[in-house]
Amino acid sequence: MTVLVLTCEEDLTADIVVATLHELGVPLVRLDPADLPGRVSLSAEYSDNDFHGYLKSGERMVSLNSLRSVWVRRPGVPGARSAEQSAWITAEAEQALYGMLSCTNARWMNHPTAAAQARYKPWQLHIAHQSGFLVPPTLLTSFPSAARQFAATHRDLVVKSVSGKHPGDPPMVLPTTRISPDTDFSGVAAGPTLLQRHVPKEADIRLTCIDDQLFAARKKADPEEVDSRFTHHGTWEPAEVPDAIHRAVLAYMNAAQLAYGAFDFAEDPEGAWWFLECNQGGQFGFVQLETDQPIAQAIAGWLAVKAAL
Amino acid sequence: MRPFALSYARPAVKSATSTPYSYDATRQLNVLPDGRPATCSRAVLLATGTTASTAGSKTHFDD
Repeated sequence: MTVLVLTCEEDLTADIVVATLHELGVPLVRLDPADLPGRVSLSAEYSDNDFHGYLKSGERMVSLNSLRSVWVRRPGVPGARSAEQSAWITAEAEQALYGMLSCTNARWMNHPTAAAQARYKPWQLHIAHQSGFLVPPTLLTSFPSAARQFAATHRDLVVKSVSGKHPGDPPMVLPTTRISPDTDFSGVAAGPTLLQRHVPKEADIRLTCIDDQLFAARKKADPEEVDSRFTHHGTWEPAEVPDAIHRAVLAYMNAAQLAYGAFDFAEDPEGAWWFLECNQGGQFGFVQLETDQPIAQAIAGWLAVKAAL
Repeated sequence: MRPFALSYARPAVKSATSTPYSYDATRQLNVLPDGRPATCSRAVLLATGTTASTAGSKTHFDD
């Protein structure tokens, strides 16, 4: 039984898990969907009420029926390195690859359907509420008047990207940023805008969940920067997970049908953890490096479990 | 009219980090010039793809 790792070649975080799988003696095939068609090829046949298929990457070939698990670790866009790149070939390659893989009994971390839903920040907030997390008051709007009213009510706000993406041309970054309640909100009409009450924080919390294993890390907040990704202030240290958070995380993972999730919280001066977001493909390498928490080993252990036939 | 959130965008910092490793398809791992797995080098891990910082990592999108 083989583990299929879908990732780009240069991803060193994937390497940590791959090396662990090697140590465990678990067969694996690593490929980047960007190489389909080209270095990666596939075939599947549906006949006689049965299904057989295989994938080939370089010199390695794997039968779809022999997959125990699939790890989707920031793969490339299908067809992106095709000799004939086009939106059409990307759609064809994506449908073929993920459609075939969806026919197997393999376990997914994470299944593309669950991953796609889990990327929606408004949906994250909805599920977070239902799961029992504290969630800061949040407004998603394209009405400037609604933004002004929200600012008048909550006063201390941050603005963040709805999609989590950064503007691309020219290359820009869009950190979560604190804004004044007296700001001119007219630009809200030009694009849906996510405003959230600012949580004064003592620390940032990154909690990585693999199935039912939780690894929490804490970093003292930078008073000058709201968004911890944009500061080198402080170091990550292991943190205890409060029981209520533990229960809420498992409820969220179950509701979202995720096997992997990286949760961000703001810890307020009273020690309460406020849910900010859950990244279904969130980075974990930096946490493992600074805390020595065995996150990659937990992922490898989950992937190594054989699929139920 | 400019979307509100874009008023708070900052220029991306261009990475000065090179990748001192290459992919070994046989081992399915990245290796250093001396053949050791790139993951053996904490310095390489810190400087490249494992970071969540925006400083130099193409993997900083916390998808």
